[in-house]
Amino acid sequence: MDKAYTVSPGLRILSICLVVIGIAAFVAGFMFDPQRAWANYLIDSYYFILLSIGASFFLAIQYITQSGWSSMFNRVPEAMGSYITYAGVLMLIFVIFGSHSVYHWTHHDAVEADVLLQHKSPYLNMPFFIVRFVIIFCAWIFFMILLRRLSVKQDIVGGLTYFHKSEFYSKVFIFVLALTFSLGTFDWIMSIDAHWFSTLFVFKNFLSAFLHGSAVVALIIILLHQQGYYPKLNKAHLHDFSKYMFILGIMWAYMWFAQYLLIWYSNMPEETVYYQTRISHEWSVLFYGNVVLNWLFPFLFLMLNKIAKNKYALIFTAAVLMVGMWIDLYVQIMPGSTMSEAAPVGLNSIGFVEIGAFLGFLGIFIFAVSRTLSKVNLIPEKHPYLEESLMHKSH
Amino acid sequence: MVSTLRNNNIFGVFDDEDLFIAAMKKMEKAGIRIKNVFTPYPIEDVFNILGLKTRMPYTAFIYATIGVMLTYAFLYWTSVIDYPVIIGGKPTNTLAFVVILFVMTINGGIVMSLFTFFIIQKLGPGKPARVVHKDITDDKYVIVIEKTEEMSNEETQRINSALFENGAIEIGEKENVETI
Repeated sequence: MDKAYTVSPGLRILSICLVVIGIAAFVAGFMFDPQRAWANYLIDSYYFILLSIGASFFLAIQYITQSGWSSMFNRVPEAMGSYITYAGVLMLIFVIFGSHSVYHWTHHDAVEADVLLQHKSPYLNMPFFIVRFVIIFCAWIFFMILLRRLSVKQDIVGGLTYFHKSEFYSKVFIFVLALTFSLGTFDWIMSIDAHWFSTLFVFKNFLSAFLHGSAVVALIIILLHQQGYYPKLNKAHLHDFSKYMFILGIMWAYMWFAQYLLIWYSNMPEETVYYQTRISHEWSVLFYGNVVLNWLFPFLFLMLNKIAKNKYALIFTAAVLMVGMWIDLYVQIMPGSTMSEAAPVGLNSIGFVEIGAFLGFLGIFIFAVSRTLSKVNLIPEKHPYLEESLMHKSH
Repeated sequence: MVSTLRNNNIFGVFDDEDLFIAAMKKMEKAGIRIKNVFTPYPIEDVFNILGLKTRMPYTAFIYATIGVMLTYAFLYWTSVIDYPVIIGGKPTNTLAFVVILFVMTINGGIVMSLFTFFIIQKLGPGKPARVVHKDITDDKYVIVIEKTEEMSNEETQRINSALFENGAIEIGEKENVETI
């Protein structure tokens, strides 16, 4: 019960090895094709930002709805949220050094030859871009640390004071998140295709964060359970986690399709060009594979009641969703940032740089999350709903 | 059939969900076969305790598939074969079908499941309502046990006392209650 999590030496070595692979991949990438390497850097840092945001949104939702079933696991989304500090540093490197390689609108000669970019330049310019970046990350880091502190303090003091505070700041946090996440996604991802715009873009990416964030929360909890932590994890908890994946998968597909359908229907050249590149040639495999992995597979697989309560099935689903999310971001980011060069990239260009870069970031993520998890008790013992979580059963 | 008892079912009324669930568990353990239960809202525990099985989820999935296929056949017939209209150069076998298909998947699944449920439960318009207890749509939980003809007085007494000991606030007899 009062078992604290200790990072096993194997896991620490694994994370360091992954980081070393990542560094090797980036060294190779910067030597041969810096643009592609920076685009990969953006994919992977945004990937783990989404996981972190999704997990902390998951946590905030649990506080706001005063959910009992999940209170035992609150440390895991907290630890994933705390990765945002690392993400801030990693993203800052990209914003300062990598922007020029990825964003078309940072080139002065391109802006001068382009009326639309000139029109957008009061918003899309480098100083304001950095200011927005700093504000967004300050807000996120502030709230992640705040929610974490309140939760840790509650474990010492007990009672309801800090619980109510957590609930209040969670409410503030989701409003702040709605604004900052929208601006951040507009800035970092949508401005790659600076001529193109979609109002559903942010919502789709946010659902992606929530879906994959909850999937990874479930994944980490089940992996901890396999190692002997969380002995009270039962079928009812697993079923609740699979409900999150199932329903958010449907929501994600709904938004994905809504964005596609609206652009397909109105059929305006400046909007359809975004999908035209992605739906043709070798991109089409990834484009449709994205929907299969993120929606169709979990939808059909988790529909069966027995499978939805099986932990190995959930591990498998979460792994598939993680791959699906990477492909989702690859399809969003890569065509716009590297297609202007001579060689078009797609399925065939997923190579050592892509995989190594992902593994490198995964290593940092594992390191950060396991480090934060090991700091305090794994089960929040003075959470007012802990009893309900421990006794949770299906009904 | 030699003779029919007028009151051939015993029922016990509970006013608390936990007591009701505990009573069901204890009575199943004691070997008393529960004929039917009535609750104001669905309780999954009932399903587990009585060991009920249902194929409704599978039929719902099949109905949804049938719904989507029929709708697609209809759309394909109307807007591709019978009366193709080209709007803005878009193909006649079009992506705009998806919205209708999505809705009709849900609709097909729900409507056909509903009728299946009616047939299974032998429900229909004009059927008289057999209400075991007037509070089952309000806030009471009812357990019904069949009183067969070969049951001795001691057995009936045992059922009554089991209901009473487990916290039933009212015990009575009622004819014509369906099995689950």
